Amino acid sequence: MWQGKGKTAIAGIGYSEITRKPGKPLGLLAVDACRAAIADAGLDPARIDGLATYPESPFAGAGNRDGEDVVSVNWIMNHLALAPDLRWYAQIETGMIASPIIEAVNALIAGACDYVMVWRALHRPRPRASGGVTGHGGPPRAAGDAQFLAPYGASSIVQTHALAWQRYMHRYGATRDALAALALNSRRNANLNPRAFFFKDPMSRDDYFNSRWIAEPLCLFDCDVPVDGCVALIVTTTERARDLSNPPAYIAGYGQNTARRRTLLYYTLDDYMACGTSLANKLWQSAGLGPRDMDAAQLYDGFNPSTLYWLEAAGFCAEGEGAAFVRDGRIALEGELPVNTFGGSLSEGRMHGMGHIAEAVRQVTDRAERRQIPDASAVCAIDGSPMLRGSGIIVTRDP
Amino acid sequence: MNDISKKPTPVPDDLSRPFWAAAQERRLVVQRCAGCGYYNHPPRVFCDACLAQDLRFEPVSGRGAVYSFTVMHQRDVAGFEQDAPFINIVVELAEQPRLLMVSNLPIAERPKVSIGTAAEVYFEDRGDGVVIPQFRLV
Repeated sequence: MWQGKGKTAIAGIGYSEITRKPGKPLGLLAVDACRAAIADAGLDPARIDGLATYPESPFAGAGNRDGEDVVSVNWIMNHLALAPDLRWYAQIETGMIASPIIEAVNALIAGACDYVMVWRALHRPRPRASGGVTGHGGPPRAAGDAQFLAPYGASSIVQTHALAWQRYMHRYGATRDALAALALNSRRNANLNPRAFFFKDPMSRDDYFNSRWIAEPLCLFDCDVPVDGCVALIVTTTERARDLSNPPAYIAGYGQNTARRRTLLYYTLDDYMACGTSLANKLWQSAGLGPRDMDAAQLYDGFNPSTLYWLEAAGFCAEGEGAAFVRDGRIALEGELPVNTFGGSLSEGRMHGMGHIAEAVRQVTDRAERRQIPDASAVCAIDGSPMLRGSGIIVTRDP
Repeated sequence: MNDISKKPTPVPDDLSRPFWAAAQERRLVVQRCAGCGYYNHPPRVFCDACLAQDLRFEPVSGRGAVYSFTVMHQRDVAGFEQDAPFINIVVELAEQPRLLMVSNLPIAERPKVSIGTAAEVYFEDRGDGVVIPQFRLV
């Protein structure tokens, strides 16, 4: 077991508006989320002496202007009055949003700082922002890896996920029923989450199956909802967290995807078990807990099949059995393993895993509103698609 | 397909120039490591398998099988707005597991496509001297 178990905690959550019609630039949405998180923790902004984020755009080729399309450590440092002399920061380039939280935990245990603010700000890219393709008047030009994809019309991330899901169905005999179960579960939970983009919009099984194809076999409701918004969290040591406004959500364990993979043009389905397991093993071992100990699982769903892959790679069910696992209400709020209890990226909005972490915190601190799982004591949040990248944490009610 | 002139044009670079030059001659070549024999695609400055720098382009059979496929319905893919819905196949070449190349097919081919369907290379002239390798189902 990891010596840092229970030594740090998440003590505050802040959301900006999650919207497709933002009234302000992304940097100012980030300011809203950061101020809300600091206030939620009951802290003076001058106490925040550490900063960490994973600032990447949602996909290659999307805009990356600081303060408009992304919000970096530098941008927050320059635009928000915090501790007069910040002591520590980290900006992560790989993994995903649990990775900067992992860095924050390590920094806090090392005594590098006392209160870290971690945020994730995401913008909704303009429609034509297509990976690696540029053009001025003449035909669009594809350079770099895009020269082997864009001339064939294959440069969109949704196509990559569709190709992987096609193989999954072929290999295990799964059908769209599995994705429908996941999407409907997420929407039902989002209807209980006032911050969710689809809070007021129920979805029926017919709605799902009648929705338009995006990249077959993925339909509209298999894709997360692109939004502008920011979520921020306050991470601190356990001793400090106990003096703040909220019950602490103790950080019991963490893990990152570290598997080697060799696929130059695409990440393919074949890597999902090996790569996902590399993360999950570290997650479970560090916390001294296993999948059966989780009262809920918040599993990344940038595209819907990723949640299914995580259920298998993290050991909630055996390889190839995800489709059977999600049937018959097992993943519902009142089920055996509630999954994405806040609505996931599919129905809350594309916050790239930060919504998953915020919800894990809410569940183990009795702050999950009408979605509360009674006495939830341990919840994991895992981000990324297992065959590509990812990071995760476990939070617990007791240290 | 429609509107060929507006489809994205590959921009050869120092690494990929032999690949596109061979395509002009209707030949499919892939960068291969002289040390360990691993095929690297897209081409790299060092072998992805063993890090050796002695890499050469070699002819390959141009035969393989459909590794996966998808039907793109969104009309926001640069140059393919008028083609949607269209099919993308990923072909795994016979030479090496997961040596993958992408092609596009018209939607009329949909009934013939499944994972494992045999495919072979052909060369599509996109005009203005641009020739690209494509794969068709066999």
